[in-house]
Amino acid sequence: MLRYTLKRLGSTLPTLIAVLTVIFVIIRIAPGDPAIAILGDNASQQAIDALRERLGLNEPLLEQYWYFLSDALTGNLGNSLVSGRSVLHEVLEVLPHTLDLTVAAIVIGVILGIPVGILAAVYRNGPVDYVARIGSLLGLSFPSFYTAILLILAFAIHFPWFPVISNANLSDPGDRLYNLVLPALSLGLIMVAYVARTTRASMIEALGADYIRTARAKGAPAFVIVARHGFRNAIIPIITIIGLYLGLLIGNSVIIEIVFNRPGLGKLIVGALEQRDYTMLQGLMVIYAFFIVLTNLVTDLAYGMSDPRVKYQ
Amino acid sequence: MRKFLTQAGTGLALALCVSFGSFDALRAETAVNVGLKAKDATALDPHLSTKSGDKPIFALLFNGLVRFKPGSMSPAQLEPDLAESWEVSPDGKVWTFKLRKGVKFHHGYGELTADDVVYSLTRAGDPKRSSVSSDYNQFEKVEAVDPHTVRITLKTPVPSLLGLVANYHGGNIVSKKAAEELGEGFKQKPVGTGPFMFKDYKAKQGITLAANPDYFRGKPKIDKLEFKFVPSDSSRELAFKKGELDIFTGKREEKWVQRIGKDGGLTVDVFEPGELRTLHLNTKVKPLDDIRVRKAIAHALNRDDFIKLVGDSVTRKSWSPVPNGYLGHSGDLPKYEYDLDKAKALMKEAGHENGFKLNAIITKRSALLRPMQVIQAQLKKIGIDLELDVVEHSAFHSQIRKDLSPMVLYGAARFPVADTYLTQFYHGKSRVGTPTAVTNFNHCDVADAEIDAARKEPDANKQKELWAAAQRKLMENVCSVPLFEQLQVWARRNSVDYGYPLEGALSLGPLFTEASAKK
Repeated sequence: MLRYTLKRLGSTLPTLIAVLTVIFVIIRIAPGDPAIAILGDNASQQAIDALRERLGLNEPLLEQYWYFLSDALTGNLGNSLVSGRSVLHEVLEVLPHTLDLTVAAIVIGVILGIPVGILAAVYRNGPVDYVARIGSLLGLSFPSFYTAILLILAFAIHFPWFPVISNANLSDPGDRLYNLVLPALSLGLIMVAYVARTTRASMIEALGADYIRTARAKGAPAFVIVARHGFRNAIIPIITIIGLYLGLLIGNSVIIEIVFNRPGLGKLIVGALEQRDYTMLQGLMVIYAFFIVLTNLVTDLAYGMSDPRVKYQ
Repeated sequence: MRKFLTQAGTGLALALCVSFGSFDALRAETAVNVGLKAKDATALDPHLSTKSGDKPIFALLFNGLVRFKPGSMSPAQLEPDLAESWEVSPDGKVWTFKLRKGVKFHHGYGELTADDVVYSLTRAGDPKRSSVSSDYNQFEKVEAVDPHTVRITLKTPVPSLLGLVANYHGGNIVSKKAAEELGEGFKQKPVGTGPFMFKDYKAKQGITLAANPDYFRGKPKIDKLEFKFVPSDSSRELAFKKGELDIFTGKREEKWVQRIGKDGGLTVDVFEPGELRTLHLNTKVKPLDDIRVRKAIAHALNRDDFIKLVGDSVTRKSWSPVPNGYLGHSGDLPKYEYDLDKAKALMKEAGHENGFKLNAIITKRSALLRPMQVIQAQLKKIGIDLELDVVEHSAFHSQIRKDLSPMVLYGAARFPVADTYLTQFYHGKSRVGTPTAVTNFNHCDVADAEIDAARKEPDANKQKELWAAAQRKLMENVCSVPLFEQLQVWARRNSVDYGYPLEGALSLGPLFTEASAKK
């Protein structure tokens, strides 16, 4: 398994270089100037030119590319053009917020989504199933910013229980959790919908299999049939969907971050794009690509843990 | 017995209070939470950043030699700040400032001396360290006569010199020692002499300022200011309703002002400066090089529609290239009233009876995009098919500075003296695409002589006449079409008292002084 893991990690290197090259070229083709983003609309041309010089934006493109690539491969992501601080430092600063949100959303999705999905599959076409199906359809169709504003209106304004601006103090676990509730719910409810639908479909397929009929025939209790024989065999697609969304959530929670004014990776990416912060964006892409690779790997390893028939080569 | 115990208890409590010095010790910390419409502060250096989100913070951290009276942005009301008094030589070229004694920089950076002023003003004039260096190109030298006297020698007289040493952009005085010691780090840990000092910065979250106990006008009544970056309009409003913010940047729309006003318990301040939205027309490219076409455009634009778009309590119509209220603004200029027939006739005369197609670049920010869409609709009526290329805000600024858009809608507030606006937007030297470029998008140079002469004119009345003449020439040539001015809007809880009537603030946000309080 260790060899497999290393092999997988090694094979991502070419992908990473390709991603970096594409990003490097695209962001420089796009119009815009980080110097104006830093100095403001009112700055004189002289000041803008001086800053461009200092930021190294006047060097030949190939030279910039070479420096960037060799630095990135040695783990040096450079400094943000706009704030002047190390990219890694800026990322590490917001990463806990992003991980909190992502993990909490997944946990909510799993804890609520899987039981709902199983119940819907077991009582297929019954009232439980209908409620679950309509509920998850609603969850999928509501845009997350809308759910977020509804939650704020209900649980921050009408019942003033939670904050509107969730700027958590990271060193205080209680405060961190308190600030996480509404954002995690907004994102988690969507996860519930996805997980419930996948679980339901996957369970229906598993419950229709021959070995379930055999288990029923030999008189196994209903719970054992559903949990051990059914769910165990239905779990692979559920892990796939969770893994897929774990990767996506890390970057896509930007809307939730904006509405709740939370720091996070999504907001960092959008901000870097708007300000044409080349180095920041490049660094973020490296980290993001790495995350995707990592979640894929973890997902693959989880297959093996949940299903002994899966072998690594 | 019980009575005795109560009395004894009260007496003991009183005695304890007195022994701790005063009741002040028991007073809870007063903090004001401010919601800023900004994503982050990237360079907290008053000479470097000209971003509107940073300006309200600079106004609290720094002082100039003179300052705008709190709540006002009138250059006629400048009052002593770090300088106690000043003298001008008869030829207007040498200004001598006597500094206030005993002013202390924040964080133990020592007492303010003439060296700090010399350093700051020299720094403000250095393009490598300042974004506003061109404002200071008439400075020949700045020198310290003694530790509390500064002498500024000018190449040519600058009648509005006080504006350049006021608490705005380059006029902010920084600590020499701190700036040299911290270098690039100064913009992350600014050191000034203002009523509040920098305490903490959390990337993309906010900035905390603490009251400066040594402030020379007295310790502020507010102990702490928490600035929070909340770029989303609705989030700021919700957070205010919840009580997480005490004051915040509002939406500059009448509908919003009226709606939030209904909630009660709060005051909406609408104040100067009005940001002038001007449509600049490149007078050197076809077909806009034909004055008849430019006049047709001017007649086709209906200011009433723009006012309707935003609402009349937060906007006003404009007919002059220099905003209302600026020293030297002239109202007596040729007006191109809305007249479609006249506009169409002019188009026909210019040989464009069937109209033409034109591309323009515009930012995706609604404050400029929406008026530009109105312009697009209005020009369609005289056959001009305006195609808009909508781009990111920073891309918009870099592209218009590369002279890529023949029509530029620009919104700006500048130092409130006609010279700044005229020089930056209408002087031949400021044309975009040249090495000395600032923001002259219309490529006009018809009023250079008047603008230059006014800058050197020692007689205030003659200076105003020259400025008026310059504005007249610019409008006769239709270098641009000034459309409307949009005022600043901030909301505050009634418990927050700035300590002065807020009528104007060049810092684009309310200034907290030593007298500001929260009940």
